[in-house]
Amino acid sequence: MPGTTMPGMWWVVGVVALTAIFSAYLGWTAQRVERVHMRAQSAERALDAHLVRRAAAAAVVAEQNESVELYAAARLALDAEPGDRETAENDLTRQLQAVTLDPSDPAARALINTSRRVVLARQVHTDQVRDAQTARDRVLVRMLLLNRRYRKPEYFDIVEPVLPDLPPLTVPAPASPSDPPTVVASGA
Amino acid sequence: MRIGIVSPYSFDVPGGVQNHIMDLAEALIGLGHEVSVLAPADDDAEHPPYVVPAGRALPLPYNGSVARIAFGPVSTARVRRWLRKGEFDVLHVHEPLSPSLSFLAVVSARGPVVATFHTAMTRSRALSAAQTFLQPVIEKITARIAVSELARKVQVEHLGGGAVEIPNGVAVAKFASAAPLPGWPGEGGTLGFLGRFTEPRKGFPLLRTAYVRLAKERPGLRLLVAGPGDRDELYSDIPPELHERVEFLGLVSESDKARMLRSVDVYVAPNTGGESFGMILTEAMAAGAAIAASDLDAFRRVLDGGRAGALFPNGDVTALTGLLGELLDDPVRRDGLSSCARIVVGAFDWPSVATRVLEVYATAIEATDGRVFDDE
Repeated sequence: MPGTTMPGMWWVVGVVALTAIFSAYLGWTAQRVERVHMRAQSAERALDAHLVRRAAAAAVVAEQNESVELYAAARLALDAEPGDRETAENDLTRQLQAVTLDPSDPAARALINTSRRVVLARQVHTDQVRDAQTARDRVLVRMLLLNRRYRKPEYFDIVEPVLPDLPPLTVPAPASPSDPPTVVASGA
Repeated sequence: MRIGIVSPYSFDVPGGVQNHIMDLAEALIGLGHEVSVLAPADDDAEHPPYVVPAGRALPLPYNGSVARIAFGPVSTARVRRWLRKGEFDVLHVHEPLSPSLSFLAVVSARGPVVATFHTAMTRSRALSAAQTFLQPVIEKITARIAVSELARKVQVEHLGGGAVEIPNGVAVAKFASAAPLPGWPGEGGTLGFLGRFTEPRKGFPLLRTAYVRLAKERPGLRLLVAGPGDRDELYSDIPPELHERVEFLGLVSESDKARMLRSVDVYVAPNTGGESFGMILTEAMAAGAAIAASDLDAFRRVLDGGRAGALFPNGDVTALTGLLGELLDDPVRRDGLSSCARIVVGAFDWPSVATRVLEVYATAIEATDGRVFDDE
């Protein structure tokens, strides 16, 4: 008698175990999908904040140099609608790359620093968006509609907004370590 | 900021990655941050106060060298405890895709993770193949740093992610102010080599051949060698009559390394490959030595295309011999190279490098939402 019940019991145990493993895997996958989407959103907010800071820093430099074109580009970048923003930021980058900055001017140094942060924020944003899109496109995720709760993150497609570093000053600038590295949560 | 750094390799054995981590940690502490470094080490071994030992390391051959790493359940438990206690604002791991503490830390953490890639891995095809398998790990890394253009290229092409290039730093002041060893470099000229002379890709045999040729015509020319290795093995390939003109220092401390680099007329880097960044070159530059190096891509970049150090075709003994002869005969050219090198090396000084790393931390924190916690 035990000989006939045993295989049946093992079969049940097997199914239960497999179900448990599969649901744990699903839970883990759902968590991963949520995390990558949250990150892509945070990265997008951070990139937005740094682009605004850059445009503001550019406007300050433009006012000092009385450069009408640079000021207009900064203004347009600040006011651009979502659909036009990439073009406006590219125009600003082009203007900034053409301008000659004075290494001893604190406004110019601030502009270089914010530009470096834009480069970093864009890099990280691109990586997060890629991770999120990869996660969304997995067959299991699509089949179970695990991605339906989240907006599909989009790349922010701009040219590399890199500016050349200013030559080192012979006299160290006061309060140099550029930004206090505080935890900027979200929004900004 | 509270910063947790993970070293994949043990500090018991000196190495490029370990030095990078210690210098970075010290520069960050100097800038006013709290830093804890988790590294494979025996609990009773001596280490700097900011290092937290994670247990004994096992020697494993990795990427052409022997790496001492820790991996397994005990290490995992220690990593998790360290993460829980640390409450770091940011976690910074090095070489996270090798089986190491760094890998374990990435798997165990959530929150902002910054990863630094040091090697331009030659087995990058295997890495591409493992990408699907590694994706959950890669996905946890928020921001990536590559220490060289080559390491960055491997990142972009084989892991499909971007990376910020931030070169290795060098403690310029420490090297520039070191006193030469007594009696060096001397009248007859001195060539210097630092590294594992038994390791083929370091290219020591090229320098040995060149030195033996040059020493025959230059009675005062000496060779100063430092690095791990067996003394007898070094001398066995050098003609006996030259033995007293070749000085072997063995494995040197960081401070003796600086003094050694200050004691040479020409520092020679005959490496034939495998270098992703010429760390030793930036140190020789900081020490003010004139440099002769093989024209590897990494070396060419560090030496500003050859203006901060003379280049010779990789593996070409005749060219190396000729170049060393020219440099030894021309103190004006040596001065030119070393004064250019002093300017170029400014960009590699640690405080300025650490400031750029902090910007990456801030970016990573912004792109996540909070501290680094143990992931249950």
